[in-house]
Amino acid sequence: MSGDMDDILLVFFQECEEQLQELERGLSALSDGESGKETINAVFRAVHSVKGGAASFGLENLVRFAHVFESSLDGLRSGRVAPTPEIVKTFLKAMDVLSDLVAEAQGGATVDTGRIEESRVELQAIIGEGSGSAGPKEDDTVPADFAPVPVDFEPVMADFDFGDFGVEEDAPADAASLVVTFSPHAAMYDRGDDARNLLIGLSDVAVAHGGTSMVTCETAALPALGSLETEKSYLSWRVVLPAAVPEESVHTVFDWVSDVCDVTITRDGGSSPGSSSQEEPAEAQAALAEPEAEPEAPVPAAVQAAPVQAPVAASHARTPTSIAEKIMAELPPAPTPAATAPIAAGNTATRRPVEQATIRVDLHRVDDLMDLVGELVIAQAALESIGQREDGGQQEMIKRIASMKTLTRDIQDAVMAVRAQPVRSVFQRMQRVVREACSMTNKDVVLTLEGEDTEVDRTLVEKLSDPLTHMLRNAVDHGIESAETRIAAGKPPTGQILLSAGHRSGRILITIKDDGGGINRERVLATAVKRGIIAPDAVLTDDEVNNLIFAPGFSTASTVSDLSGRGVGMDVVKQAILGLGGRVTINSVEGQGTTFCLSLPLTLAVLDGMLIVAAGSTMVVPVSSVVETMMVNHKDIYMLPDGANVVSIRGACMPLIPLASELGLDGYKAGGPSEEDVILVVENESGARAALIVEDIRDQAQVVIKSIEKNYRQMSGVSAATILGDGSVSLILDVPALVANALGRIDTRPSDVRTGLAA
Amino acid sequence: MTDEAGADTKLVKMIVFAVGEQEYCIPILSVREIRGFEKTTALPFAPHYVCGAINLRGIILTVIDLAVYLNVEPLPDNPRRVVVIVESRNGTVCGLLVDRVIDMADVNLADIQAVAEEDSSLSGLVMIADRMIGVLRLEVVVGQLVGGMTS
Repeated sequence: MSGDMDDILLVFFQECEEQLQELERGLSALSDGESGKETINAVFRAVHSVKGGAASFGLENLVRFAHVFESSLDGLRSGRVAPTPEIVKTFLKAMDVLSDLVAEAQGGATVDTGRIEESRVELQAIIGEGSGSAGPKEDDTVPADFAPVPVDFEPVMADFDFGDFGVEEDAPADAASLVVTFSPHAAMYDRGDDARNLLIGLSDVAVAHGGTSMVTCETAALPALGSLETEKSYLSWRVVLPAAVPEESVHTVFDWVSDVCDVTITRDGGSSPGSSSQEEPAEAQAALAEPEAEPEAPVPAAVQAAPVQAPVAASHARTPTSIAEKIMAELPPAPTPAATAPIAAGNTATRRPVEQATIRVDLHRVDDLMDLVGELVIAQAALESIGQREDGGQQEMIKRIASMKTLTRDIQDAVMAVRAQPVRSVFQRMQRVVREACSMTNKDVVLTLEGEDTEVDRTLVEKLSDPLTHMLRNAVDHGIESAETRIAAGKPPTGQILLSAGHRSGRILITIKDDGGGINRERVLATAVKRGIIAPDAVLTDDEVNNLIFAPGFSTASTVSDLSGRGVGMDVVKQAILGLGGRVTINSVEGQGTTFCLSLPLTLAVLDGMLIVAAGSTMVVPVSSVVETMMVNHKDIYMLPDGANVVSIRGACMPLIPLASELGLDGYKAGGPSEEDVILVVENESGARAALIVEDIRDQAQVVIKSIEKNYRQMSGVSAATILGDGSVSLILDVPALVANALGRIDTRPSDVRTGLAA
Repeated sequence: MTDEAGADTKLVKMIVFAVGEQEYCIPILSVREIRGFEKTTALPFAPHYVCGAINLRGIILTVIDLAVYLNVEPLPDNPRRVVVIVESRNGTVCGLLVDRVIDMADVNLADIQAVAEEDSSLSGLVMIADRMIGVLRLEVVVGQLVGGMTS
């Protein structure tokens, strides 16, 4: 039973995730000055959906905040408030709080109440300002919904007075008749329920059991009109039901409100069998099937403590400064009341992985896959029938296999398309990272996103989040200068960071470009020397100096700030990107900014490879890195004084790498390349080229990438391995590493400098 | 002494194999399977005792020539060489190329006579039916494979 509930909750959180993305998108559009009606409506809808869902799960914290948020957005929607940058900023902040609250409800960290309150006040200030003299809504922490509540009272009273419920004044209160008294809390009205519904429900029950109900309204608690607080609930009702009515059916009526309404059910009008509000926890237990009962279980407990003040206490609990909430803040996640409790209970550990294991896919992609699999079945049947033919059908067979090959490839593409996801989800999260970094460093930075629709394998999308967060924080903290410095340098005071994604030659390229001060190479160099990362007399190119910031333990920040400066960030970034089979390059112009380029493989599973032979064994070179192939021409090969060779290809010189000896495998003939050898011109991401000498080119094929690092150490020049058609293992070459090695060797500088840069 | 066994079980089932003239044993629970020796793919910058990589139903693993590793003379032209696929406790899978697998034996841990060196690949020696058998410390052998990066 609770398993079903978890499933529904899970769906709710997934939807929240989507709504939050929608919200983020809308607010970004707003901040770009695009304040069309559609945009505002989309934003409003997103918050509204979150609120609606949260309410049906009884996630009080979330509902309360979403409500305030929604009210403010309503001001925007109705045109009372104009979306000025200030206001959009407030909304963005509120969105962060909202998404944190969602995370909290999911069992994440408890959100700081101060932050919620701050954002709430800001939100209310918006409609406060915007609606000018609109009186009743300004009542501080009271959500606008409260206002209609007293109005709702009227019809109830009227209904009662006019005997709408089929009340018969003289209905005999049998000795065994069932007496139900209930007093709703203000929270019940807030939730959109009404005492009227309960009365109708009770009278229905009475009618169903062949009797009528007798209703009395207790107005004793009602103060004089002058001191009446509109948002409080003062009334309670006493309903006498016929004896035939079983208690269970009465419980059913109160199922949905048991946590926000005091109910007493007694037989025989007189001797109360100690049911009163103690019964409620039990009732809540009984009603586990309905969503609120679980999360709200602690509330009745509070009610027990102060039954008389119940309505007050309930409305009190709505202000974040209330005692209950203070306790909540002090006692972090586990046993606290309200939303976190039911989720923390039991399956926090299991929920997250489960959530990550699901994927939402466009239906047409799944359909494509389905079609292809159908084709595959047909192809298999065709092969089978050929196999049964008398004459062997050699020719036919080859043809079929060829078409099956295309099919396999299509299926593979289709599966990858299913796994592919736009990087948007990660990119949009970065907006928040930048916002937070800005508020911590007191800088004003605008993050522009480009190519969010670029699709990458899902595993990659998830793993990109951490490195990008690090890099963007760094960009705000170190890259962008303070506003004064910027103005002094003749730049606009607002910093710009561009985060873009795109496909390039079978890889995904992500660039993070800021218009800050660029890398201060002298300072980097000095720091590197000071920290012993390089020798004091080392001579480095600009590029190598830039790369020093990736060295472990490197940090130029003179003081460790909240954001960065601990000297772990960039090192971790580099490791993470390398771990994904990617590479990081830096381009920095002093005074104009820094650009980081991350180049990542599209998928972690398959690559197009060229099968070559070196030292007698077959190896795989990723096709994407091969520029051209050619036969060796001895006239074009020159030997450098240190013994290395360069080859001139149409005027361009590049290092010549005899692959076999480069990999330390024997079998390479001494005396330079022979006539049969083939040259493979390869290129790394930054366009540096080298020529590999291989013995032969066998084939071109798709290969499945298999990790060897799990069972073996990392090998330089080899990125992974694959299994060929004959079952043998073949190594996949790490071309950029080979090129880098070769270029390094041709270099004139002493080798100890370079080894320092190996990291 | 061996960390290959639980605290209370004194008897450990070992698989005994021969490398050259010498016999060695490892706990049978660390053995995944035994298969014939096939052609391996040479690995760059590999230590000299690594024969290369093989494909075990989709898992790529390296094969260690125990004769080279332990520095003993292998039997010449032995067609019965087999690869013992072992899995070390940290999950690393690798193959050990041995000359032949002899049998299984119950070894009482108390009977193992420790050898002096702490980090040696032999954790001790044990007598089984008058034969002196070395007890291999798998973690050390396999650990060196995954260890540091070559450059």
